[in-house]
Amino acid sequence: MEKALIAFAATLCVLGGCITGLMEGKIAIKAVESIGKNPDAADKVQSMAIIGAAISETCAIYCLLVAFLIIFILGA
Amino acid sequence: MAGLQTTVFSILIITAVIIVFLIFINGKLKKFDPMDEPKGIVLLMMVAVQTIDNMVKEKTNEKVARTLTPYMLTVALYLFMANISGLFALETPTSNYSVTLVLAAITCILIEVYSAKARGTKSYIKTWFEPFAPFVVLNLFSKMSTLLSLSLRLFGNILSGGILMSVIYQMLASVSKMIPFMGEFNILGVVVAPVLHFYFDLFSGAMQAFIFITLTISFIGKELPKE
Repeated sequence: MEKALIAFAATLCVLGGCITGLMEGKIAIKAVESIGKNPDAADKVQSMAIIGAAISETCAIYCLLVAFLIIFILGA
Repeated sequence: MAGLQTTVFSILIITAVIIVFLIFINGKLKKFDPMDEPKGIVLLMMVAVQTIDNMVKEKTNEKVARTLTPYMLTVALYLFMANISGLFALETPTSNYSVTLVLAAITCILIEVYSAKARGTKSYIKTWFEPFAPFVVLNLFSKMSTLLSLSLRLFGNILSGGILMSVIYQMLASVSKMIPFMGEFNILGVVVAPVLHFYFDLFSGAMQAFIFITLTISFIGKELPKE
């Protein structure tokens, strides 16, 4: 019973990654759109998109880290 | 070997491989005639150096690029080798938090050093107290968050890839036990795992190395004053 609760808590934590995935997709959509409108700026848009995606990914990584902590510290 | 983590050995092996590789490249470059058409590994190295040099020069200035480009190339090479070392049955060094923390700490120190060099000591100390004096605490926290997010990004991505791979291997092993006449042989692992290794080790590893150096360069470029 206790293990199931711990697994459920870790699952809830990782759910935070859902929204991050959705919104990183949105970054990619916007980058593709703006490259389509203005192909000359492709290099700059690409690097900005990668930086934006990487920074917003931090949120998902914190979720993952908390999930790992829950599993390995509470579950051990 | 009590007290030593297994990643220490893979770090030593990777460093040895990089040293041998660089000595080999150095020999090739010394023999290379500048008038000739570059080809093979010489061309590859030229393209790599030019790409990173352009990236650094775009975000920072010429003076910074002279010292920053060699460091960035070294980090890129090391991170790439470290991230794909899972393919060669080594323990991935970047799945150890100490390694990524040290790399991120070097980045943070470099940001401060370049900022201090570009502004001069007096106006550098002033940036800690902007916009007014009590903000020194907030500035400190914002610098700490760079350290945390930079190190945890690399660590989390590589570690989660490794854990997912080991879980998938266990699952495939227990599934292929149900196949008759095969015994303990993990037949599904041979079929399914290579594709996942391609994504988790090669693609993700190269991507994370690229993201790490891009972020380092743009963080340093952000701190430099505009001329």
